Amino acid sequence: MKYGFVAPALIFLIALNIFPLFYDIALSFQNAELSGGESAWVGGKNYGTVFGERKFADAIRTTALFVALAVSIELALGFILALALKAPFAGKTAVLTVLLVPMMLSPAVMGLFWNLILNGQYGILNQGLASVGLPQPQWLTDNDLKFFSILMIDVWMWTPFMMLIALAGLNAIPKYIYEAAEIDRASRWTVFRRITLPMCAPILVLAVLFRSTDALKQFDLVMAVTGSNDAATQTLSALLYQVAFRGYKVGLGSAYACVILVSIIALATVFTRYIDRIQRSKA
Amino acid sequence: MKALRWLVIVPYFAIATLPLLWLGVTSLKTREESISPTAVVAPSTIEGYKKLTEPHSGTAHNFFHYLANSALIGSLSTLASVALGTCCAYGFSRFRIPGAKDWLFFILSTRFLPPLAVVLPVLVMYREFELENTHLGLILLYTSFNLSLSVWLMKGFIDEIPKAYEEAALVDGYSRWQAFWRIIVPQSATGMAVTAVFCLISAWNEYGFAMTLNNRNAVTVPVYFAGLQGNIGGLPWPQIAAGALLFVVPIVLFTVLVRKHLLRGVTFGTIKQ
Repeated sequence: MKYGFVAPALIFLIALNIFPLFYDIALSFQNAELSGGESAWVGGKNYGTVFGERKFADAIRTTALFVALAVSIELALGFILALALKAPFAGKTAVLTVLLVPMMLSPAVMGLFWNLILNGQYGILNQGLASVGLPQPQWLTDNDLKFFSILMIDVWMWTPFMMLIALAGLNAIPKYIYEAAEIDRASRWTVFRRITLPMCAPILVLAVLFRSTDALKQFDLVMAVTGSNDAATQTLSALLYQVAFRGYKVGLGSAYACVILVSIIALATVFTRYIDRIQRSKA
Repeated sequence: MKALRWLVIVPYFAIATLPLLWLGVTSLKTREESISPTAVVAPSTIEGYKKLTEPHSGTAHNFFHYLANSALIGSLSTLASVALGTCCAYGFSRFRIPGAKDWLFFILSTRFLPPLAVVLPVLVMYREFELENTHLGLILLYTSFNLSLSVWLMKGFIDEIPKAYEEAALVDGYSRWQAFWRIIVPQSATGMAVTAVFCLISAWNEYGFAMTLNNRNAVTVPVYFAGLQGNIGGLPWPQIAAGALLFVVPIVLFTVLVRKHLLRGVTFGTIKQ
């Protein structure tokens, strides 16, 4: 009886998530092509290619740099915003709602639109820079800038997420703690360092973990801004797409996927352990 | 301190809303105006919106065809994930299931898998079952993709319903299933609505799976717009802006409706307020 309630969902997940993972492993030892046709076992050849290619190391570096920069900028900005937005003011709900809109947009669609904003010749950003006499960089085509353009769009989209969570953390700090600090004549900085920051920390770690696992998948914005085959912005997902869907190498793509999945699963384990710990500490 | 506060809010608000404003302005321009080097001109036309009803050169259908695909796939997969997720959450909430915690964390971890890393075996599987380029294929995939969110959110909501309600019903001779259907389902209606909104948002905006599995039939709006890139006649910016705005309106409305539960939704119910 009780399994009647949980089984349908679990069967669904096993069929569409777990089975594919094992199938991925099998595919990674074959030379399957996207176009179909016969495929043969090739042993560890695909893995040899994966680890032998510089592209893979480059994609790991690009992705890691992207996750580190995006998440830390979003965290810092989001936290500062939350501090500024904490106290009530007229129209606060409306301001918060508008600020949250970027994270509701489809990254693929909005990423495409950013191409218009950032365009070197007629983009509004460069027109604005020109009108105040600043240099107008080629945001979308300059090899040193493309990566930062994508980063900038991601920051625009996801800072509200950090802000939302940080606000919840700030609001959860009981008022009496601040009152006690005031009686003790603690300085503003001490209050921030000894009360605000440590009491917000657990919830911020949670936010960082959520954003990191998301940023690690970065694909939509890369596709929208530079496409999947640009050395300066090729994240792991973009590399996978390039190998499997542009190069038609399903076997090789699966080998890449397996290596990526192992690292994601490791990260997911850290994440779920942390959630478990937080939930137990609350109970 | 007060001044400092506004020194943060005002500039951020201005910069963050500028792209949104530009989206609105561009949707009301002609194509020539949208790419002219003197960009700041008064919005003059609703051509961008009108042209959404005609197929753009190089595409088979008009925008609303793709919007209908998105709506169909989004709503059916949302219904399925909420239904399956609610049942599953109820089971985990009320019964002692061996290894329950491991199962729950397994369910959560399925959310971390990058679409591009699982899509290849799914593609091969779908070809076998002829699900490639079908609505059903994406509906099934989005249902499973959103189950993690649905189970975790619903478990939080169902945990908050006192057990005494169903126990009374069971004593009155209700079967377990009846008790679930007549007590838990109505009691958790808010939770189900909140869950539905978050499932819909992620299905609505999803791109990775949709682009790799469905690039011929049952094409959704993100795939349609992304596919316009490299169009010979250049990108139809006013239409893209108009379409992007129409596309986000339902999501913003739904989000405003569930704003009290927003935080819970974006953190899979791990933070409750």
